[in-house]
Amino acid sequence: MKTSLRDRTAQVIIIVLLSLLCVSVIYPFLYMLAVSLNVGSDAAKGGVYLWPREFTLYNYEIVLGNVVIRHAYLITIARTVLGTLIGLAVTLLMAFGISYRMLPFRKQILAYVLLTMLFSGGLIPLYIQLNNLSLLNSFWVYIIPSAFSAWNMFVMMKFIQGIPEALIESAEIDGANPLRILFVVVLPLSKPMLAAIGLFTAVGHWNDWFAGAFYVSDQNLIPVQTFLQQLLSAQDISTVLGSNNNQEALARGTMLSNVTLMSIKMATVMVSAIPILCVYPFLQKYFVKGVLIGSVKG
Amino acid sequence: MYKASAIKTVRGNSLWYRLKEQKWLFVLMFPAFIATLLFSYGPMFGLYMAFTNYQPGGGSFLHQFFGAEFVGLKWFEYFFSTGDFYRVMRNTLATSLLTLLFGFPAPIILALMLNEAKQGFFKRFTQTVSYLPHFISWVIAANIVITLLASDGMLNNFLVMLGVIKEPVAFLQNGPLFWWIIALSNMWKEMGFSAIMYLAAISAINPELYEAARVDGASRFRQMWHITLPALRPTIVILGILAVGGILNAGFEQQYLLQNNTVLEYSEVIDIYAYKYGLQNSMFSYGAAVGMFKSVVAFILVVIVNNISRKVNDQALF
Repeated sequence: MKTSLRDRTAQVIIIVLLSLLCVSVIYPFLYMLAVSLNVGSDAAKGGVYLWPREFTLYNYEIVLGNVVIRHAYLITIARTVLGTLIGLAVTLLMAFGISYRMLPFRKQILAYVLLTMLFSGGLIPLYIQLNNLSLLNSFWVYIIPSAFSAWNMFVMMKFIQGIPEALIESAEIDGANPLRILFVVVLPLSKPMLAAIGLFTAVGHWNDWFAGAFYVSDQNLIPVQTFLQQLLSAQDISTVLGSNNNQEALARGTMLSNVTLMSIKMATVMVSAIPILCVYPFLQKYFVKGVLIGSVKG
Repeated sequence: MYKASAIKTVRGNSLWYRLKEQKWLFVLMFPAFIATLLFSYGPMFGLYMAFTNYQPGGGSFLHQFFGAEFVGLKWFEYFFSTGDFYRVMRNTLATSLLTLLFGFPAPIILALMLNEAKQGFFKRFTQTVSYLPHFISWVIAANIVITLLASDGMLNNFLVMLGVIKEPVAFLQNGPLFWWIIALSNMWKEMGFSAIMYLAAISAINPELYEAARVDGASRFRQMWHITLPALRPTIVILGILAVGGILNAGFEQQYLLQNNTVLEYSEVIDIYAYKYGLQNSMFSYGAAVGMFKSVVAFILVVIVNNISRKVNDQALF
């Protein structure tokens, strides 16, 4: 059949293009992994493409032994956990309230939230406001300003409105107050939606470097991604690691001379990306579900 | 059951009764209400500073804020009268349009290709891999781009090896090329994730349509052209309209992380510019004015685009 030949060529072209896409995503990570596992001074000579030539774990030893990085890691974990829980709670409560069609002023409250999605004051007034509220240079600047997300609220609202009204009504007639309805009826049914939105929120917190770079000046409060951003713009390794934070590493000076900014950068990238790379394959179906919940229009 | 709810609606006619009845709901909604007030409406009212000569210093905030000298549209005039306006808008539009040019069709093509690929491990694997860049931070993505494009980086080595170029090109030091790099890295980062929407639309197509087409002897390509693409049209129109509405959002993170001193002339999009003057140089009023210009134009664009969408597609975003 003549069409089948054409189809087969098309298949080959598609497979080649899709493979190229896969390579463009996977290869950079393999490369960074290889460099991070290679002796820095050796990698600097070039030629390390896929696997380490002079294998060492020393780069990781330095990165994981560094007090600043360890602290930044704790900050990242703390803000991811707290930020996700608080963000989900605050947003869900609003979505639950607003889903109730009999709610007085429902239209006005919806408009109040919707307007914030269309217009914003911008970076500078927000900065001034954070300053007024004494949130600058505090851990809570990671959690509180982003606790309520109008976008997530609308997604949750759409989902809750999809719950059969009869379920809620029968609980009401049994004398359940709104809080009980939330916990007994809505929450159990919303698990997939909460998992999806929670994952997006968690990834957002894990990946955020902006707040740490612009709202915080205390080095003890920066998350890993901000540390990485500082490392990215650093000119030499001492700016980040030299400041007596790494005494034990400095003591082994001969080894340190083999470490380059590049190898430390790559090791830090891997350390900050590995949690996402590891959980990602297992959770990606929830991510997809999350997008689709959000795209259902009412 | 029916009776009970009927009684409730009769009593529920009075607003005061309904407020009292729902007081618990209001308590639940309170934190979000306050957060919106503080972090969305607060800064909106803070835009008043764009019309004054705001200088933080001693004294209470309200005193500084309202006591600041009122200068009217001075900061806006200043922005429009300097050469900065032209340059910033050029960078913003160039970056956005290039991002649109690459980033908009890419997920459609990817979704079509994934749809054509045979079911199986390869397809699932590709799909999973293609979303991955969306979930890594721009810091890491920028690190990848910089490493890849460095003068001793992968791309240069590769091109030299192939003999396309004789000596390494400093990709990231070349002004206009910076726009292309931003656009292409945006595409790389988001195309897999954006394809999800299109794939969902494709999976909703009735398989009988394809069967009928096959019976009529349509090739795979013709099936794609006459069945799949038309089915994607509403999604394409909605997402396209959204993209045009957000044309001033040329990004901040990408430019901030990828720029270097040699490309500042080209990397300075509107958000970067507002940040540079507003926070780095502490010209708060000027930065706020630039930000406000962007917010107002973006708002108008979204409203226009929404109305067009309602007319053309009979679908409105709000």
